[in-house]
Amino acid sequence: MNTTTLGAGPGAARAPVGDNKQGSLSDAERLDRAMTSFLRDFNTTSALYLEACVHCGQCAEACQYYVQTGDPKYTPIWKVEPIKQAYKRLTGPLAPLYRLFGLKKAVTIEELEQWQELLYDSCTLCGRCTLVCPMGIDIPSLVLAARHGMQEAGLVPDDLWGPTERARREGSPLGATKQVLKERIAWLTDDNNVTIPLDREQADILVTISSVEIMKYPQSITAMARVMNHIGASWTFRSDGYEATNFNMLSGDRTGQREATMRLINAALAINAKTVILPECGHAYQAFRWAGATMYGRPLPFRVVHISEYLAEELRAGRLSLKSDARSMTFHDPCQIARRGGVTEAPREIFRALGADLREMGPTPAGNWCCGGGGGVITIHRADSLRHRVFHLKMQQVEDTGAALLVSSCSNCRLTFDDGQDFFHWDKTAHSLVELVADNLAERH
Amino acid sequence: MTDETIRDVLTRRGLSRRAFLQVCASVTAALALSPAEAADMTKRLETAERPTVIYLSYQECTGCLESLTRSFSPGIASLIFNDISLAYNDTLQAAAGQAAETAKDTAMKNAWGKYVLVVDGSVPLAQNGAYCAVAGRSAVSDLKRAAGGAAAVVAVGTCAAFGGLPYAAPNPTGAVPVSEIVRDRPVINISGCPPIAEVITGVILYYTTFGVPALDHLHRPMNFYGNTIHDRCYRRPFYDRGMFAKTFDDEGARQGWCLFELGCKGPITHNACPTTKWNGGTSYPIESGHPCLGCSEPGFWDKGGFYKALSTPTGHWSRTGVVSGAVAAGVAAGLSTAAVARARQGRAQKKAASADSEPKNPTS
Amino acid sequence: MNGASVLDFARGPVFEIALAMLIFGIAWRLVGIFALRRPVDYSEPRAGTGWGSGLRMIVSRSWPRREFRERVLHWDIVSYIFHVGYAVAILGYVPHIMLIRNLTGLQWPGLPGGVIAFAAGLSAGALLALLGHRLTSPVLRRLSNFDDYFSWLLAFTPLVTGLMAYYGIGGNYQMVLGLHILAGDILFAWLPFGKIMHVILLAFSRGTTGAAYGRRGAPI
Repeated sequence: MNTTTLGAGPGAARAPVGDNKQGSLSDAERLDRAMTSFLRDFNTTSALYLEACVHCGQCAEACQYYVQTGDPKYTPIWKVEPIKQAYKRLTGPLAPLYRLFGLKKAVTIEELEQWQELLYDSCTLCGRCTLVCPMGIDIPSLVLAARHGMQEAGLVPDDLWGPTERARREGSPLGATKQVLKERIAWLTDDNNVTIPLDREQADILVTISSVEIMKYPQSITAMARVMNHIGASWTFRSDGYEATNFNMLSGDRTGQREATMRLINAALAINAKTVILPECGHAYQAFRWAGATMYGRPLPFRVVHISEYLAEELRAGRLSLKSDARSMTFHDPCQIARRGGVTEAPREIFRALGADLREMGPTPAGNWCCGGGGGVITIHRADSLRHRVFHLKMQQVEDTGAALLVSSCSNCRLTFDDGQDFFHWDKTAHSLVELVADNLAERH
Repeated sequence: MTDETIRDVLTRRGLSRRAFLQVCASVTAALALSPAEAADMTKRLETAERPTVIYLSYQECTGCLESLTRSFSPGIASLIFNDISLAYNDTLQAAAGQAAETAKDTAMKNAWGKYVLVVDGSVPLAQNGAYCAVAGRSAVSDLKRAAGGAAAVVAVGTCAAFGGLPYAAPNPTGAVPVSEIVRDRPVINISGCPPIAEVITGVILYYTTFGVPALDHLHRPMNFYGNTIHDRCYRRPFYDRGMFAKTFDDEGARQGWCLFELGCKGPITHNACPTTKWNGGTSYPIESGHPCLGCSEPGFWDKGGFYKALSTPTGHWSRTGVVSGAVAAGVAAGLSTAAVARARQGRAQKKAASADSEPKNPTS
Repeated sequence: MNGASVLDFARGPVFEIALAMLIFGIAWRLVGIFALRRPVDYSEPRAGTGWGSGLRMIVSRSWPRREFRERVLHWDIVSYIFHVGYAVAILGYVPHIMLIRNLTGLQWPGLPGGVIAFAAGLSAGALLALLGHRLTSPVLRRLSNFDDYFSWLLAFTPLVTGLMAYYGIGGNYQMVLGLHILAGDILFAWLPFGKIMHVILLAFSRGTTGAAYGRRGAPI
């Protein structure tokens, strides 16, 4: 059991990996699995990133964890030090020299255990660091690669591994099994007097859901249904492919990530979908819109859009018409959808169509502060106090806008906002963009 | 004869006191002495014993002697040197053969232990010194014998001082400078190809009056070699302002801009050219539009070419060879390290695949 | 070894070896990186192939994005003083241009010596400030390794010896000039093996991210 301190920074917390290990592998086996995984992941892109770092430390200045704590261990590039070390010793062109002169030591199991906190508890994969890095290094991609190794080694925080493992077994990380979904939809249909197509055999559009919505925000599902029906689209949910949340990706579980991805792909193929709509979930967008085809091994035969993109398209096409809602609003751009996903204009088109008084946060979308719950962090309870510390940044940003309504397009962000609201007794509640649209659908004439 | 002072000789030859003072003034000016030192030198020259100079030549071209005798006329300093002090010189004397050898022996015997031995030319050591011999004696043994009776040795010219042209790569004769042979008494190097006449005479007079002058690390008198050509060059302002002649006939060359780009070695060359100048103070090479060759520095033949800028590589090897060799080796190294890395990855992949087939991803 | 032989050594064999090391190292490292496996991205691009964004980011990342300026711009400026001063000294000084012409055949007009000395002095000052920052900032202390300090030293030495040669400090000019060129040679030889390789990798890593983000339509 390793409980050495993480680095020597002031106030460096003890990092008791404790029981946050999976399986009963020996240390040597864990290390070997992690190194094997690191090795598998290296490619030209990660090599360029790992070679190019000049240790300027600017990524720290972009990272909410460093900004809020001043602890140098939270410097983003430092969080990937083990994989950097492995790369320099084993894969980089100068690897023979590094070994010859002993410039990089072999990674140890103690280091991997120490780095669990840095790789999981204190990185939401938000990607602010990528935008500040003078070398343009995409650090979150390296964090994900490092998480692959950690997962292989069975070194994922238990709180995150729990839902990940459940997703493998049940098809959903939070217990939203096929059965639960069916019941939930039946119940929502009755309660809200809305048609929610499930398991149609053919449809143009497959709409997917986040388990956070199924379990916590079921009204979001109703809202999606009402909006889709309003538009008059040929769409369906599918009980064999609904879960868009991909906790496996966040844990570093490649196998589970592929399985989760393939369920959606197969469902879409089964109904000959032309479009797959991803729900209000940031990592779902990352996992399916940008990583999906690569998991599939070839281009997908349908297009993939985030629901906000789809709504903006329909607004432009005139199939979606909205009533006016002139309240002052501010929009929280989810990191994985906006900064790392490229969807920045669509939500703003929707606010314009609503006639809302949109008060942008400063800075957004590129420099937007993360809610602090992404990357699986929201599930890791030992990281709660740290997460609350960084949430200050987000609250301040929201407060500075003076807007009455806080809107976002990610239910994971929403979950984090809810938790923060509770903890700080804050008067702001995060709202769903889709629900806002559903509430303002114009009457059909 | 050696009891005479310099002043006596000059008076005997009809030189007035006024002319003597002029001699002193010109010598002290050339040496850049302070007024106090100048007065001191004048006094000493009046009473100093006439020096005896024995001048020997080995592997040389006689350019140094040409410089000395033809620099300007009637040079008062050279008058002192040639007519008064010079007891023996192969080239200038009328005698030849056995008579010349006898004259040399006599001159050395008369002033044994006191004479100033001036040497020009380098000394070959290869083939037992066979490349240069006088009267059946090799230069090296001749020099050793002559140096044995010298109070001091003055190596005149870059060949004697640093080996010069014979010393240039590949140095077939095994030439060495005088200082390599004479190690037991002071050697003053007056380098240059050739050196400035006033510098040669000035140093000998200085030695006569004050002894060995202050020398730099290459044993050159600081009075004349204390500064670089660049330090004192009248074209220096153009260097500082970045104005350079690029060819010998461009506008820059006509405007008298700095010759650095044309290979001027002024920045690393220590000599008195910009101040003492040549041909009776007429000009010096840079003033005549040619870059300094660096002739007063060791190994100036081997600095990569007279017209190659100082900041550029001397380029002894084939550039194409160096570059293409390095590219080929680099590409090979890159391909092999990548191949090793890919092989490692392949093994990791296989290992992961076989692990995948077993139950894994242990649950907690 | 006296000044003249140091100078001849530095201009002669050492330069050739350094040049060979420079080219060899750059080729080794670049080929070694690009001969690794290439990742394939089958996702449907939102906005073209991303090539344009890649190229744009190579330029645009030269200045921090507005969001980050408050926290990083001051050190960026110090860093720029170092880099620009260095570039001016290298590319503006005629003796250096002569070297570049000798190597590449290219040449351009030089700048006055005073300007060069000023730029080099500023650059050296900024470099010292950056070292101070590296030694005092907890983040940089955490990140820094042998490469950072060694590369710093190798970047600093040519500046100082160059200024010494220019101002005639240090007595024996040939020795100082020889050491300056030697320092430059060593910098050349080290460049591809340490962090200074960023002068080349910078374009590739920026371009890679710029292209990846560009095809997603994400801000760069």
